[in-house]
Parts: sequence; structure tokens; C-alpha cells
Amino acid sequence: MSNLTWIILLIPAFPLLGFLVNTFFIRDERTAGRVASGAVILAFVMALLSIAVLQAQPEPAEGGRRIDYILWEWISVGSFRVPFGFLFDHLTAVMALLVTGVGAIIHVYSIGYMHGDVRQVRFFAYLNLFIFSMLMLIMGDNMLLLFLGWEGVGLCSFLLIGHYFDRRSVQPGINPSGAAVKAFVVNRVGDVGMLLAMAAIFSRLGSLSFYNQDPMLDGRIVPGFLAHVNDIAFAQLDLGAFGTIGIATAICLLILLGVTGKSAQVPLFVWLPDAMAGPTPVSALIHAATMVTSGVYLIARVQPLFQASPTAAGWVVTIGVLTALLAALAAVAQFDIKRVLAYSTISQLGYMIVAVGMGAVSAGMFHLLTHGIFKALLFLAAGSVIHGAHDHQDMRRMGGLRTKMPTTYWTYLVGALALAGIFPFAGFWSKDEIISYAWFNGGRPVGAILLIFASMITAFYMGRQIALIFFGQQRDTTYTPHESGQIITVPLIILAVGAVIGGLINFPGLHWLSDFLHPVFATPGAPPVDETYTLGQGILAVVTTLLAAASGYAGWYLYTHGAVARRVRIGQPDPLYRYNGDIWTGAEIGWGFDWFYDHAIVRPYRTASRFLSDVYDRQGIDGTLVDGTGRLMGRAAESLRGAQTGFIRNYVLIFLVGVVLMVGYFALS
Amino acid sequence: MEYIVFVVTAIIAAVGAVAMVLSKNAVHSALFLLLNFGAISVLYLLLRAPFLFVVQLIVYAGAIIVLFLFVVMLLGAERVEDTPDSIAWQRPLAIGLGILLLLEALYVAFSRTVGAVTPVAQRNEDFASPERIGQALFSTYLLPFEITSVVLLAAIVGVVVLSKRSGRVEQAQRALEHDADGRSEQMEQVMERVG
Amino acid sequence: MVPTNYFVILSAILFTVGVIGVLTRRNALVVFMSVELMLNSANLALVAFAQARQSLTGQILVFFVITVAAAEVAVGLALLVAIFRSRRTLDVDEVSTLRG
Repeated sequence: MSNLTWIILLIPAFPLLGFLVNTFFIRDERTAGRVASGAVILAFVMALLSIAVLQAQPEPAEGGRRIDYILWEWISVGSFRVPFGFLFDHLTAVMALLVTGVGAIIHVYSIGYMHGDVRQVRFFAYLNLFIFSMLMLIMGDNMLLLFLGWEGVGLCSFLLIGHYFDRRSVQPGINPSGAAVKAFVVNRVGDVGMLLAMAAIFSRLGSLSFYNQDPMLDGRIVPGFLAHVNDIAFAQLDLGAFGTIGIATAICLLILLGVTGKSAQVPLFVWLPDAMAGPTPVSALIHAATMVTSGVYLIARVQPLFQASPTAAGWVVTIGVLTALLAALAAVAQFDIKRVLAYSTISQLGYMIVAVGMGAVSAGMFHLLTHGIFKALLFLAAGSVIHGAHDHQDMRRMGGLRTKMPTTYWTYLVGALALAGIFPFAGFWSKDEIISYAWFNGGRPVGAILLIFASMITAFYMGRQIALIFFGQQRDTTYTPHESGQIITVPLIILAVGAVIGGLINFPGLHWLSDFLHPVFATPGAPPVDETYTLGQGILAVVTTLLAAASGYAGWYLYTHGAVARRVRIGQPDPLYRYNGDIWTGAEIGWGFDWFYDHAIVRPYRTASRFLSDVYDRQGIDGTLVDGTGRLMGRAAESLRGAQTGFIRNYVLIFLVGVVLMVGYFALS
Repeated sequence: MEYIVFVVTAIIAAVGAVAMVLSKNAVHSALFLLLNFGAISVLYLLLRAPFLFVVQLIVYAGAIIVLFLFVVMLLGAERVEDTPDSIAWQRPLAIGLGILLLLEALYVAFSRTVGAVTPVAQRNEDFASPERIGQALFSTYLLPFEITSVVLLAAIVGVVVLSKRSGRVEQAQRALEHDADGRSEQMEQVMERVG
Repeated sequence: MVPTNYFVILSAILFTVGVIGVLTRRNALVVFMSVELMLNSANLALVAFAQARQSLTGQILVFFVITVAAAEVAVGLALLVAIFRSRRTLDVDEVSTLRG
């Protein structure tokens, strides 16, 4: 089986093929959806087969089983060699299953959800392109290919968020093209960090490839930089007046900048709430399960770098905790369904970032997987709610939908419970592992407490959301809600099942996932990680669950019974605003990051561009230089035109002048 | 003796030329030109060119002037320049340039060729007699002679073609006749004859 | 024998008068006549030199000039008549549609 390694090429090949077919050949919406979904389902099957092939590979001494299929040597300039190769090891396998599996479910869901849309073919083409780019990201065997996928998913995010580019505003008041541009630009800011990090890695560590490779099979090895991190562990970079900084720290901080952009952490998360302007399947796939997790994957992949720089790792954890907390608080104050889930995603990503920052890679990947499942479930169910509520997204217009949309209600409830971390749903296991690692192994008790607090807030806002949507009386009676069709509800049920049993992936005692991932990250010769569960961890788990359950119940109760529930009105601010005032407003606008960027950067930039375009370009260059030259020529020509009098006598006169001059010349010389 | 004849004839030629240019009436101009041609033919005679003397009188004075007079009378073009000049600066400038040209020519004549053109010693009185000219024309200069006949043929054909009346010209003239007011009687008659 | 120079000077004077006539008069026929005057002045100079150099070439040349001048007058006058037919004017200043 070892010579079947080419099978890993088929994983990205099918979505790429789907994209090309959809772009160039298909014009019919129904076929587009089927082709796209089929491509991703095939990719999923290929991923499963690739795992089998992977397991059949011989186990090397260190680093775990790995397939590195190099297609050709892409760049070869002196010592800078970058092969175009696909990597498939345990970490990639896990990500690939998530991407293709959840992706396939969402593709099928989209066939039903996007029915009637005018641009379905384009939509499915872009979805396939996205899956392809994401696979390139996780299967690239060097930083440059990863960056290729990184940019590709950014591009697809832009294209898909802007799907409704012909509408000036979608609920709750976002301009889709503006949101798409914002996503791209903010990602770009992060990409600066990525590019600088890549440059630094190459210049200090000698290569961009993760692991040793022999692309031309001629003995000229391209070294992998991960193994050489210790070479620079103590090297310093002199910043002149700013002191010195460790090289590894510098690289890690630059990577962190890229991660905050792509994975929507503080301070570059502002694009994600507005990205909800795109269709709901896009939110589910890209902004819940896959693209935003690429930052987590990246940090997991270059773990040795972060282990070499405790300072940077500390920053990662700090940012993760901060994000988890701020986003959770912001989610409480939203009244648009998808915006609640958007901030929730940002918050949960914070958990994952904390985990990989601390070095608990398998805990982080565990939460990545479970979050991918239940967040996708929540988004798809939200889509079903929106669909059934006749495209209303404002929760103040809903209420009492539980009886009208039972399947949606139950699946949504399962997703919410998983997100809140209630035993025995998937979220409980993964979130708890992160918190307990922070408390016990990672030596960050403060962080752990903050994370517990954040999970309480998470449960609270989920309870609030469930109450506002599914309980009470329908506040806006202008529409009649209906349950969605099977093509929508069946994927919901599949994901709901996943949300329930997802904890089995890394169940304490079984820990399949951590065993699977262990070889990738273990340093040779280190003692095995202590996997036994102490009583302290058990108590912590119980305490966190009880606190979360209590908060969730409180949120639900507040918005179904009592004075607060009665005061929820369409178009009015949330009843709790009364008690918190500006704090509530602050939470609602995402703590002012967006406002700040708008005033400090966007507006001056727009003014400068307007000046350049209207004054400098139109008046200065067009008017003075271009038109002015033309007009000058015109006037000069007009004045010269006076010589053409049309009188023959004048022409003969000129003639005579010439004759006189010539005769004079010959006479006098 | 010859000097006196030369001076008188030269004065007559010059006066005729100037009068031709100055005269307002085109018929007068033609007649003054005739006078000028006559004087020039006498000058040819002074220069021992009897053949050219006769040819000048026959062709220039006899045919070309007649042709001019014919056309002047046909077109009624005696008084064309009654309207004021639209480019008044042309006249002084032209006169100035003309004088300049004259001065240049005189300068060349007086200073560059000191004295006279080197005369050849032999002065055969009938070196330009008709016989000798005839001999030259039909031997050395036969080709130009024949080509000249072609030129004359071309001129004849050209004149005939140009004088043809085309239908469109007639219609245009009819239209102009209907439109035109205040045309002189002369013009009416001319239109009858020409159109 | 009159010196050749005198004839040349006369020729120059006649030529100048002809040039001024071409430039100054507006009657097309007078312009034409001035051109004939210029041709004649050239002929005069040619004959003068032919006599001085005792060469027949000058006179033969004058003969041809006269012939061609005759042909040219014929064609030119035919042109003038044709122009008059379409424009109804013999003023050269009126024929200025190439203006601008």
C-alpha cells in the first residue's frame, strides 16, 4: 500500500475539479449543487482512504507517520528551494476530515437553502474553490504553500461574503460589498505579519519547509525548519532604540499577527460579525468550521517555534483569553441571530488559541473539531430558522417558534447545549480539557478562571437566544413560520448526532485523538504525557458544568418569564439596556474596535483617496496635464491656422519671399 | 546709333509693362502688354535674332494678346477690382519684395559679372538666320521639337475638354439665374453666351 | 554693340514688374498677363546671352518657351472660363475656399 501515496492528491483534486467544472461548463443550478457536493463527498472518501494508506506507512523514529508527495520543484533559486508538495500526517488528516466532512454536509444543505438564488452556480463554484484552498492550506508541506491556501481562503471568503453584492444592505444593516472588502483588508493586515514571518524564517532558519524533504530525489535535502528551531533559541535581534528581541519571539509574534487576522482574534476580529452579510451556509462553513480555524492549525503546526519562545506563547494565551471574554460579552447584547453566533465563534476561537498557545495541541484540536461540528450545526439551524421565519433575522421579531419548527428547535437546542459545555454533549469534554489544562498543567490559574467566566457568559447568551427565538409568543405576527424541508433538516440531524457523541473523539480514558496526534508533537526521548485524571480535574469539571448550566438557565429564564421577557419589543433596545446603559451599547458594537478603526484609519484614508481622485487626478492630471496640453495644442494650431488665408496672392507672396532669400544667398555667397 | 534705339525701345517696354500693371481696365492692360511685346520684338532684332523677332510678333502679339482680349470681352472682365482690397497689406509688401529682388539682380549684374559676359570674338552677322535655326531645330533639337508638338496637342485636347458644357453646370447656372438679383446686364448676356 | 548687361538689367526690371503685377492685381486675367510678361523678360535675357556667346542654343530655347507659353495661355484661359462659369467671378480673392 505504500506506493498508493498518490491518493492524497485526490483530496484537493476533486474540489478543484468541481470548481473548474462549475465555472466553465455548468449553467444549470441543480447540476451545480450536485456537482459541488459530489466533489466534496468524494474528497471526504479520499481523505478516509488516505488515512488508511497513511496507517500502512512504516512508522519512523520520530515525528509520526507522514506522507510527503512532491509534485515538482516550484521555486529553486540558489539556496531558496520550495517544492510543490502535499503533506499528509496525523494533524493534516484530522483537519482534512473536518473540512471535507462538514463541508460535504454544508454543500448538501446549500442545495436546499440557496434554491431560488440567482447566482447559485457561482456560489457552488466558490464553495468548491474554498474547500480546495483550505485543503491546500492544511496539506502544504511548506510555509509558502500554506500561505497560498491562506490567501486562497481569504479570497473565497471575500467572494462569498459579497455574494449579495447587488444589495445595498442586508440584515441587520450591513452592506455586503463593504463587509467583503472589510474582511479582505483586515485579513491583509494579518498577512503582513505572515509574510514577514516567512521572510524571517527563511533568513534565520534556512528554509520554508516544515520537515526535511528530498524533492528531486537526488540527495539535495531541503531542510525542514521545525527541527532547527533550537539553533535560534537564544539568538537576539537588535532593534536599536527599542532594545533587543529574541528571534524566535519575533517570528512567533509576527505569526500571531497573521493568526489574529485570519482567526478573528483581538484586535483584528472586526470583520467576522460583518461577514454575516453572506449567505448562511457560507457563515457555517467558512466562519465557523474551517477558515477561521486555520490560525489554530498554523500555531499547532509550528509548535516548536512557540515552544522556543515562552514570551510569545504567553502573548498568544493572553490574546486568546482576552478574545474569549470580550467576544462572549459582546454576544450577549446582539439581537441578530447570526451576529450572536459570530461573536460566539470569535470567543470559542479564543479558547482554541489559548490551548495551542499553552502547548495543549490535542486539546485545542479537540475543541476545534467539536466546535466545527456544533457551530456548523448552530449556523445551519439558524439558517433554517431564518428560512422558516421568512428571512427575518432579528430575534425581537421571533418567539414561540418551538411549536412551529420542532426539528429545528431540537437540533438548535442540542447545538446550544454543546456550545455551553453541558455534560454529556461534545462541547463539555473539549472545553473542559482546555480549562483544566490551563489550571493544572499550564500554570495559568487566572486564565482558567477567566475562561470559566467566559463559558458562563456563553451559556447565558445561548439561553437568551433560545428563549428569544423559540419560547414565548411570536412578537411579529406578520408572517407564518414553517418548518424547512428535508434537504435542510437532515444535515441538521446528522450534525446534531455528531454534537452529542462528539465527545468520544477524545474521551478521557479513551483519548483517541490525543494518541493519534501525539507522534506529531512529541519530542523524542521526552517522557509520555500523564493522562491520568486526578480528582482535582473531576471537581473542576463538575464545578464548571454546574456554573454553566446555572448561567444558561438564568439566561433562558430571564427572557421567558418575568418583567424582562415582557419588555422585549420589536425595534426597541434590549430590556437589560435599562440596567447597563452604555455598557450594553458598548457590548453591542463589539467594544468599539470597529468604530475606532473606522475613524482612525478608514475615514482619513477615504478622504485622502477622494482628494487624490477628485482633485489631484481629475483636476490636476486630467485637467491640467492631459486636457491642458490638448487645449494648448488646439489654441496653438488655431493661431497658426491664420496663415492659411485661402488667398492665392498670399501664397505667391510667401513664394516670392523664399525666392528672394534664395537669390540673396546665392548672390552674396 | 544702336544705343539710341535700345534706350528708346527699352523705355517703351518698361513703360508698357508698368502701365499694364497699373491700369484698372483689363482691356487697357492687354493693349499695353501688346505694346510691350512689340518693344521686346524690336529688341530681339537688335540682338541679331530676326527669326525670333517674327515669331514673337506672330505668336505673342498676334495670337496670345488676341486670345486675352477675346476672353476679356467674353467674360466682361474689364472692371473686376471695384471692391476694396481685403488684404491691404499685400500691396506694399509685394512692392517692397519686388524692389528687393530687383536690387539683388542688379547687384549680381554689376558686381559678379565684371564688365560684361565674355563676348566671343567672332561676330557672324547671320549666325541666327532662319536657315541656321531651322537646321538646328531639325537636327540637334529634333526631340524637343517633336515633344513640343505633343504639348500643343495636349493643350488643344485640354482646352476642348475644359470648354465642354456639362449638364450640371447648366442646371446650376439656371438656378443661379433665378436666384440672382441686381446682376448687371452684361452678366446676363455673358451667362447666355457662356452657359 | 549694346553691352549684354543692359539687356539683362532691362530683363530684371521687366521681371520685377511682372512679379508685382502677379501679387498685386486681383483680376485673374491681369495676373495671367503679368505671368506672360515674366516669361518674356526671361526670353529677353536668354536671347541677349545667346548673342553674346554666339550660340544658337539660347534662341532655340526661347523658341520653345514661346511655344509652350502659347499652349499654357490657351489652357489657362480655358480654365479661367470654366471657373468663371461655376463661380461667376474673376476676382482671385473670391476663390478662397481653402481658407482655414
